Amino acid sequence: MLSRVLRALSPRSTAHAHCDIPCGVYDPQQARIEAESCYKIIQKYHESKDDLFRARCVLVKEERAELTKHHIDVMWHDYFKPEHVEKFPDLHDVCWKTAKQASMVKRSLDIEEAQKLLDLIDKIDHMWRETGGPKATRLQAAA
Amino acid sequence: MRRLAGMFGAALLFAVAAIALIDRLGRSWESRVAVEGHSMDPTLLDGDWLLVDPDAHRRRAPKVGELVVARDPRVTQRMLVKRVVAIDGDGRLTLAGDHAAHAADGTRIGTVESAAILGRPWFRYWPLDRFGPIG
Repeated sequence: MLSRVLRALSPRSTAHAHCDIPCGVYDPQQARIEAESCYKIIQKYHESKDDLFRARCVLVKEERAELTKHHIDVMWHDYFKPEHVEKFPDLHDVCWKTAKQASMVKRSLDIEEAQKLLDLIDKIDHMWRETGGPKATRLQAAA
Repeated sequence: MRRLAGMFGAALLFAVAAIALIDRLGRSWESRVAVEGHSMDPTLLDGDWLLVDPDAHRRRAPKVGELVVARDPRVTQRMLVKRVVAIDGDGRLTLAGDHAAHAADGTRIGTVESAAILGRPWFRYWPLDRFGPIG
């Protein structure tokens, strides 16, 4: 009875009050390094005849592809702002395709797929550079 | 006669005020939300149920210091509940959480335009031990 009353009273929508601690440091190179690992691991997989080594390649490549996707998501959800979408109307499409491509590389051993992922990350890198780039989102090394 | 007219006037005013309050309650009930997260502690706690007046900012512009429910500029399907901490010359609002550790929220969220404000949470109806108006 009480649970039915509570269900009727409960709100249909949620207002988020999540903690956003901003560090403000972003760089698509984080995604690219993981994607380069995938590329190299796929190469090594095809060069090897050792089953154990090949099994480890698959395992590590899947981990790296998942990390690539995470870093793409951070750029997409946290770095890019509505004004960046105004400047690059295909921003959402590029980020979405890149995340999808990271999933493709996770399950594929085709080097072409890994190259496509690198090319897409470079498109994100271009948009990042044009909207602030390292000056805005990286600490500058001491001269 | 004059006294009767005075009483009638008072009753009419009372009726108008009552209708306005019932209307506001009804509209707010339709826009009620559940709070999720801790960035508004201790003002609002995770799991609080709030009435949100969707017409508050049709009557007047949002003010610095008040609570608002707003569309998240990063993920527009998502709603945020935050406090207005600044309004710039172009009418864009900076929102932040009340929790001391999250004071810098606005730099991450970015500013929001006033059109992104969906309403003003003004009453907590659950849990019952904290039932009452909020500010």
